Amino acid sequence: MSVIPREEWDKYPDIEITLNVNGKDYKVKVKPYERLLDVLRYKLGFTGVKEGCGRGECGACVVLMDGKLVPSCLVLAVRANGSKVLTVEGLAPEGKLHAIQKALLDTYAVQCGFCFPGVILAIKALLDRNPNPTDEEIKDALSGQLCRCGSYLRFIKAVKLAAQYIREGKEYFDESGARG
Amino acid sequence: MVICIPRFNVYIPKDVSDALNALSQRKDLIPMGGGSDLLVLIRSGIVKADTVLDLWPLRKELAYIKRENGTVRIGALTTVSELCESDLIKDVRYAGLADVCKKFSTPFIRNIATVGGNVGAAHPLSDIALMLLVLNGKVKLLSKNGEREVNIAKFFKGKRRTVRNHDEIIAEVSFTETPPNSSTAFIKFDRRWGHAMGYVLVGAYMQLRDNIIKDVRIAFDSTGNPYPERVWTTEEFLKGKEFSDELIKQALNNVLPKEMKRITDYRASAEYRLDLSKVLLRRALLKIKSRIEGGG
Repeated sequence: MSVIPREEWDKYPDIEITLNVNGKDYKVKVKPYERLLDVLRYKLGFTGVKEGCGRGECGACVVLMDGKLVPSCLVLAVRANGSKVLTVEGLAPEGKLHAIQKALLDTYAVQCGFCFPGVILAIKALLDRNPNPTDEEIKDALSGQLCRCGSYLRFIKAVKLAAQYIREGKEYFDESGARG
Repeated sequence: MVICIPRFNVYIPKDVSDALNALSQRKDLIPMGGGSDLLVLIRSGIVKADTVLDLWPLRKELAYIKRENGTVRIGALTTVSELCESDLIKDVRYAGLADVCKKFSTPFIRNIATVGGNVGAAHPLSDIALMLLVLNGKVKLLSKNGEREVNIAKFFKGKRRTVRNHDEIIAEVSFTETPPNSSTAFIKFDRRWGHAMGYVLVGAYMQLRDNIIKDVRIAFDSTGNPYPERVWTTEEFLKGKEFSDELIKQALNNVLPKEMKRITDYRASAEYRLDLSKVLLRRALLKIKSRIEGGG
């Protein structure tokens, strides 16, 4: 990916790692300095993983690794070897919307949408361990997700709505009827 | 497509002894815990890395929280979220650690940041290092030639500099369980919640018996040196006296300013930081008192 001078070709060996992304196994050769973000986005094509700041400040690149929310820009690909990764692409089956996505649409939280993959996964991490969060818990869980359009207050509404959908057993929605 | 990321190799150890062997043989290895600090430093060019020693595989040996024989031992590779989910911080004596958890960076950084990394980073705004200072903690360093324990008050040498030798890794932090009628508090003051660095950080431990201050330890993010330190003179002044508003007022106005040198930078001025230190210390001591007496 990056341009490596010829004399350095042998210096950084390829390492083969296995990754389970969104339920599918991948074998991929990575360089030691490559981040999980680079591998997911540029080698495997999961462009739902966004690079914002590249230093763990903005929360755009977060993924769920073995059920834990991690910034993929601060996890080396070799460290992710053998782990299960969930990106926003794997949240709902093809043609369906997850309750979190539906709730964000219903509350009109989407503006430019760049932070959304991170926000959606952060909400999922929150709702997985706390199905009925309070305002304070939502604010803490989303404290790392920067949204420069400023949809923060709508996120809180959306999390409550998504929690309600999931409690009612409505986890997936048809994509076609998404916008009311 | 050209992406300019610094290139480096990674050494992945099999176990602790493999990591220690590699460290003793190679001078170019930089140990990395969670990576939330080091990877940023490498990317911004502050640290030049040739090979990074990834300590994450050692988590099977060095990630634990144990309470035995009156000592609390925390493995260096325990993540901050593991510490925050443990029973340890539910103990009212360690409520200060619960305060740390509430304001420690963001949830996803807590999942990768480690306790040992926070201590080893030797940054003035290291929340956990600050709490270990007031808990009179020790840092266990492992090398191929054996182990040694260093009191955390003597661990820091400068900004990002510690007494750790090149061939050593931080294996564990520990502290003695504090007596029953004591508690801790931690306050970080910043304009925002997520990713707060803090203009001023204060951690305090106090033991009260019949309203007499039996023991007190107070640490600030900086008292002149670029690493967290205790304010020994203020502690001595408070020790053995009866807890009262007048006593705290005297300590804040007459003792604390004499031993605290604050700096002015783009984030806050020295005057503001000193003033804030006084206010926060008072709040912390009152918080501890209410915690000991059964309040929140």
